[in-house]
Amino acid sequence: MILVGVWYVAALSACALAALAAVLGPARGRPALVGTITVGAGALAAVAGVAAMGGGGWQAWLPEVLPLAGVRLAIDPLSGVFIAVTGAVTSCAALYGVGYAKDGHGPAGRVTQAAVPLFVASMLLVPAAASVSTLLLTWELMAITSLLLVLAEHRRRAAVGEAALWYAVMTHLGLVAILSGLFAFAASAGGESFAQLRAAELSPAMRSAVFVATFVGFASKAGIVPLHVWLPRAHPEAPSHVSALMSAAMVNLGCYGILRVGLDLLGGGPAWWWLLVLAAGAVSALYGILHAVVAADLKRLLAYSTTENMGLVLIGLGAAGFFATAGFDALAGVALTAALLHVVNHAAFKTVLFLAAGSVLRATGTRDLDALGGLRTRMPYTTGLFAVGALCASALPPGNAFISEWLLLQSLIQSGSVSGLAGVVLMPLAVAVIALSAGLAVATFVKAFGVGFLARPRSPAAGAARESPPAMVGGMALAAGCCLALALAPVLIVPALTRPVLAVVAGTGVSARDLILAGGAGAISPTLIAAALVLAVGAVLALTRAVMVRRSRRVARLWDCGAGPMSARMEYTATSFAEPLQRVFDDVLAPENDVDVTPARESAYLVRRVAFHARVPDRIERRLYDPLLAVADDVGIRARRLANGSVHRYLAFGFCVLTGALVVLAVIE
Amino acid sequence: MTEAIYVQLLYLACGAFLLTGVLVLWRRDLSAIIRLFALQGLALGALILVLAAYQRDLALALVGVGVGGLRAGLLPYVMRRALAAAGAHRETRPLVNAATSLLVAAVLAMLAYAISRPLTQLAPGPTIRAVPVALTVLLVGFFVLVTRRRALSQVVGFLLMDNAITATAFLTTSGVPLVVELGVSLDVLLAVLVLYTLTDRIRASFGGTDLDELRELHD
Repeated sequence: MILVGVWYVAALSACALAALAAVLGPARGRPALVGTITVGAGALAAVAGVAAMGGGGWQAWLPEVLPLAGVRLAIDPLSGVFIAVTGAVTSCAALYGVGYAKDGHGPAGRVTQAAVPLFVASMLLVPAAASVSTLLLTWELMAITSLLLVLAEHRRRAAVGEAALWYAVMTHLGLVAILSGLFAFAASAGGESFAQLRAAELSPAMRSAVFVATFVGFASKAGIVPLHVWLPRAHPEAPSHVSALMSAAMVNLGCYGILRVGLDLLGGGPAWWWLLVLAAGAVSALYGILHAVVAADLKRLLAYSTTENMGLVLIGLGAAGFFATAGFDALAGVALTAALLHVVNHAAFKTVLFLAAGSVLRATGTRDLDALGGLRTRMPYTTGLFAVGALCASALPPGNAFISEWLLLQSLIQSGSVSGLAGVVLMPLAVAVIALSAGLAVATFVKAFGVGFLARPRSPAAGAARESPPAMVGGMALAAGCCLALALAPVLIVPALTRPVLAVVAGTGVSARDLILAGGAGAISPTLIAAALVLAVGAVLALTRAVMVRRSRRVARLWDCGAGPMSARMEYTATSFAEPLQRVFDDVLAPENDVDVTPARESAYLVRRVAFHARVPDRIERRLYDPLLAVADDVGIRARRLANGSVHRYLAFGFCVLTGALVVLAVIE
Repeated sequence: MTEAIYVQLLYLACGAFLLTGVLVLWRRDLSAIIRLFALQGLALGALILVLAAYQRDLALALVGVGVGGLRAGLLPYVMRRALAAAGAHRETRPLVNAATSLLVAAVLAMLAYAISRPLTQLAPGPTIRAVPVALTVLLVGFFVLVTRRRALSQVVGFLLMDNAITATAFLTTSGVPLVVELGVSLDVLLAVLVLYTLTDRIRASFGGTDLDELRELHD
């Protein structure tokens, strides 16, 4: 239908307009102007995406825009999901950004303000790309604009530069993988438009090579272990609304890429592809949530939680692909619905959480949970909205993550009918992984909310916090509203996902009806559960009140072992809260504790100072990346000897390479 | 002009072109090198004129005269001035001695013939068969650039490469348009003028133009 195209083009034009306004507009009121237009762009994109999910399609072929290749765009229901999610996240984040940039806190400069709408536009273009060159171009545009935004606060903190470097390197290595995979694909298909790729007849080895290469590239964008290292660095250092955009919208596109190339363009493949995806997802889910549970930096915690959730989505994708290749289309449909629903849910709650974390950071100047606390009275709105996000993120019944994870579990549990080792052994393992990660997610977000917002402030900065401006609260409230809607009425959104799912899973004999779990033991009603919970909580409150009213009230000092009065130092901190879990998973996390005792003047018994340092380093980074970087450094230092400053030597290098290449050419001929 | 005379004249010009290029490796006297370069410019101009005469193309003949004038007249003139200003007239101890250089030139010629075989097979004809000659001069020019120490002999190496590129262009195509050749020639002239100024500066600042003495400047 033409409508999708109209909305979509309008959204892109609004992005362009916002970027233009950022460059040409007056410095005064620039964030408000740009933010308002971007909010509109996000809303338009969301409408376009929803319309596309409803079955409207749109195609465009612009040969003049890009020399030689041209730009080819096509929106189908699957792209619609990701466009809609990106649009919704954009609206919330842009509204929030208006307030965030106020009073010199956030980035209000021309470049950073213009980069936000451009970043959004590139994220809208990626799922609509319908040829290899268009996809790669928009993918790179997305990487560059997001890199600019990560760098926005580089003058304030030195860590920003390092984080951006990691991000730049990882995203470009990912691009190299995607580029080589897709170019090889296009070369053997004899054309680069997606229609030609779908029709291509490739050898199995070639197909596998293309899949693995693109999977590695897309997984690095999705923050999948072991390619996740950029995520816990870049997300904390970016401005918070940018973190929200990256974590809730950009990483999804990694999953989109896997889905598009693996299931759509390559049309499924051998089972091991999808078991690979499933395994990567399972490892990421566990590793991500384990690090989230011990993280003391609020935004780092959220970044690791993103790795976990993308891992869950990949479990769903892997299961869907596996079922589809085994011929169980209905099961594949359920798994894929669960995965897409989790993408939507994760986007909703991660937006709230990152925006609220930014609000806290703006008010207190710290992300360290051990220095926060006591924000409930000082920042009531932020606290309430973070609570909504945390509830949704912790995979417990009234939250929205519970629904998608439940659906995912159901699809895996019902895989008993799939014969073979994988079906019997791996699927139950995946079930266990999801259950464990859900449990740890509860602990993570109880910690984040309880330590971060409740109790007494643990630092003067937290004690002096002030509520954020209305625009920021509005942005957060909008996202929290989406969370609640998704949590209470998933019935509305799940049917909308059937068309995108059917677009990818072969769909022979699968009707939309089959995708809804047919009654059975797995059927639940989130609305009823929520209603029951509200009733139960209300009943408990009413009961306690009824009991308490009968007794007379008296004010007394809290029992404090006689040490009193209780101070903020007696509270649980994030580190101490996570300590038992850290002990349980000691072998996996390998935490490092240093105790540094300074005795008082030659005395063995009197101690002047005890310093205790505890940190949980990223082991994958330690074991995998640090040796690689050391080798690269070593090679670099050795290579310096090659360049001794002699012009003749440099020329000789060129001469030798030229003649060498010519000799090789002559021999080959 | 008959076909036979045309081929003979073409190969004569190409032979002169190659010989002057290889002889640059042999001579150590800088003014002799410049003279050889001027002769090569003449050979290049003659080559183009032969082509123009055979094709009865006036524009091409004009290009030939222009190229010859630039490479046999103007560029050697500029270099001679640089030489007079520099004062040092001999190439001090090249990195590879003359005998070895000539052997290397022979190897490079073989390489050029080997790699241009596909080209000659593509369209066998007198001009295409002469392409390896131009490629040999190109490689020899690069070799001069690598092994000679004086700034001026480096310039000559660079110009040898440029001559070879021009010759290849005229041999493989049926005439380069005037505008293109004019642009290229102006570029070359500009490059030489810049190098001339640079050589002058190097000499004024460091008292010599031996490039290997400048290695302390890196970093």
